[in-house]
Amino acid sequence: MKSIFGLFLVLAILVIIPIVDYAFAAGDEPGQYVDRRVIIWNLFYRMMTVAFTVGAVVSGTIIWLVWRFRESNPKATPTPYEKEGVW
Amino acid sequence: MGHHSNWPEWVYIGVVIALMAWVGSEAWNAERLVDHIPADAEVIKVTGQQWFWTFEHEDGTIEKGELHVKTGKAYKFEVTSKDVNHSFNIHDYVVLMDAVPGRINTVWFAPTDVGEFPIQCREYCGLIHYNMRGTLYVEDGST
Repeated sequence: MKSIFGLFLVLAILVIIPIVDYAFAAGDEPGQYVDRRVIIWNLFYRMMTVAFTVGAVVSGTIIWLVWRFRESNPKATPTPYEKEGVW
Repeated sequence: MGHHSNWPEWVYIGVVIALMAWVGSEAWNAERLVDHIPADAEVIKVTGQQWFWTFEHEDGTIEKGELHVKTGKAYKFEVTSKDVNHSFNIHDYVVLMDAVPGRINTVWFAPTDVGEFPIQCREYCGLIHYNMRGTLYVEDGST
C-alpha cells in the first residue's frame, strides 16, 4: 500500500511539474532585456552538472553493489531465502 | 517476507523528487525569462520557404537571405513557412524556432555584439536544405 502510494506520488509529480511549467511559463507581462545566450547556456551547464553528479552516484552505487555482493566475496553471507531454500 | 527497513528507498525517492523539482524550477525560470518579450520589441516577420528566408520589418522593408538589426534593441520574430516545415536558427544568439505552414511562432532576441552571424534552417526541408542559409548583420545601434 505504502509503495503504491509512493509510486503514485512520483507519477503525480512527474505529470504535475510539466503542466504547471506549461501553464505559468507563457505569461502576458512584458519581459526584460536579457541575454538569452547566458540564460540558456547557464541552464545547460547546471543541468549537465546535475546529470553527471547523479550519473556518478548511481553508477558508483551499482559498482559498489556488484563488488560487495559478488559470490566470491569472503564476507558474503546467504540471504534468508537462500538459507531456507525458499524462493 | 519479513519486515525490514526500507528507509534507503524513501531517501532515494526523496532525493529524486527534490532533484526533479529543482531541475523543473530552474528550467521554468529560464523559460519564463526567455519567453517574455520586451514591450518595445520590433516585430520582424520571418518566412521560410524552399530554400531561403524572407524578413519583413515593421516599416515594410523586405530582406531576402539577410537581416539587418541594431544592438541595444529587442526584436520579436514572427516565424512562419510558405511550404514545408523549416526551423529558423541563429546559432550564435541561441535563437531557434520552428517555421510551420499556417502557424506563427514567436521568438525574440536583443543583439549585443556587432558583426555578421549565420542564419540557417535546422529542420530538414528538402534537397537544398543544407544551403538554406542567411546572414544576420548586427550594426551598432548607439550611433
